Amino acid sequence: MSFKSIDLPGIGTKYEIETEKGDRVAVIFKDTGGIQLYVLEKGKETPSAVELNPWEARRLGSILTGAVIEPEKEAVEVAFSALSDLRISVQTYIIGKNLKGKSIGELAIRRRTGVTIIAVSRKGKNIINPPPDFVFEEGDIVVAIGERHQLETFEREILGI
Amino acid sequence: MEQIAIALLACLILALISKSLSLPPIPFYILAGILLGNGGLKILTPNEIFEFLSHLGLIFLLFYIGLELKPERFMARGKSFLVAGLIDLKVNFLIGFLVALVLKFGYYDAFVIASAFYISSSAIAIASLIENKKLILPESETIVWLMVFEDIVLVFLVFALSMDQNPLLLILKMLAIVVLLYFGVKILKPLILKILDREDDLPAIFTFTAVIVAAAISKKLGIPEVLAVIVLAVALSTTNPKAFERNSRPFKDTFLPIFFFFFGISVELSGGIVEGLALSLVAILSKFLSGFAIGRILHKTSSAGIEIGANTIARGEFSIALAAISGSAIVSAPITLMVIVTSVVGSITGKYSSKLKEVVSSLFAQT
Repeated sequence: MSFKSIDLPGIGTKYEIETEKGDRVAVIFKDTGGIQLYVLEKGKETPSAVELNPWEARRLGSILTGAVIEPEKEAVEVAFSALSDLRISVQTYIIGKNLKGKSIGELAIRRRTGVTIIAVSRKGKNIINPPPDFVFEEGDIVVAIGERHQLETFEREILGI
Repeated sequence: MEQIAIALLACLILALISKSLSLPPIPFYILAGILLGNGGLKILTPNEIFEFLSHLGLIFLLFYIGLELKPERFMARGKSFLVAGLIDLKVNFLIGFLVALVLKFGYYDAFVIASAFYISSSAIAIASLIENKKLILPESETIVWLMVFEDIVLVFLVFALSMDQNPLLLILKMLAIVVLLYFGVKILKPLILKILDREDDLPAIFTFTAVIVAAAISKKLGIPEVLAVIVLAVALSTTNPKAFERNSRPFKDTFLPIFFFFFGISVELSGGIVEGLALSLVAILSKFLSGFAIGRILHKTSSAGIEIGANTIARGEFSIALAAISGSAIVSAPITLMVIVTSVVGSITGKYSSKLKEVVSSLFAQT
């Protein structure tokens, strides 16, 4: 693999990777803020290209670095150097019809699974540390925190997935 | 005020139309000027305010170019930069000069025409590379750096066209202003950086004032303002060029359309249609020739050559600027026509360059 960065006056900076197979990928960070992503297969003349905004580019970047991402479900796992056996996962879920109208306390999420709901996003507004009497609506995006196996229990017992 | 309002409205509407047709706006501005001005409906006449605003457009265009001209930047590019740039210069300047002589222009006018003929439109070339998504191609780098080379040559062309006085005296005066501006900026650098860091209106006021003051001083000294402004920009690029670009861009973007429009107002196309069309045709072929040579030499393929040719055909802002700076009335009609034709043709060839490559390669396959 070869990598190079090239200064393009009036446009921005180009980063180019040639893969072992000889395909080429180029990313152009434009001075105006947008990003162009190119893919050119070996032996082909015309590249494919897409235009990304900075947010989309970051998102794509995190996918490429290997973070698990599905549109409705994404997770971050945090490990601490001083506590090597503690791995905390933070994961988002979308509330479906089955939980509509039920409160956090009523579902006894923490008692049954060990998972804590630390935030809910509803129609673009964020609610941090929702109280036990917080009632879910369909489409809420919740941020749940716990150990990996606790989150799996949460998915099974509460969300039913 | 009415005249400026009409001009601005026309430019705004035309900019919208040109963007929706994905054509460069420059020919539209010029055509609108021709249509509403002396050569057309005679609704608008050149006046002092108009001329001043249009002059601001020219000054800010050159200031903006000057900010990008950092010697260490192109020193790092090495030989390929020089090879491509020199082929482009030699081929196009020579052909342009010869065509102008054949069309019976005098030596000075032929020089002006050759300059305008040589210099491609950076704005159109760069917009085309981005819009048509060609930035992964190695030849797109060559094209971008070719534009930088042309910008450097532009400075010399502006200098040559401003030689209406004793050249030695002008050179001495230029040296004086280079030293003055360079050391002025060097001494004031901490202050300049502090002003640019502010988040209020001061950076914009400072940028505008610096440009106008440099232009005013140069006028007092009898130096062409456009040159002084380029020198100022190069000197200021040692401080925080990105901030100056950000702050001067709105001025450039606002006044430059007025410059093209105003240029159109004073052009009488009828005087040079045949010459203009002949010039346009050769101008297209000539850039294909130079592009082809560069592609063969630097990238070893004909298709790279066609790509380079196709993306450098468009002449635009600099050709008009050089025509305006030269002050020669007789060249304005043919140069205007050349800009209109090549900018439209160039943006089409830029868009369909891959089709063009197919056609050319099938032609060669048959023979």
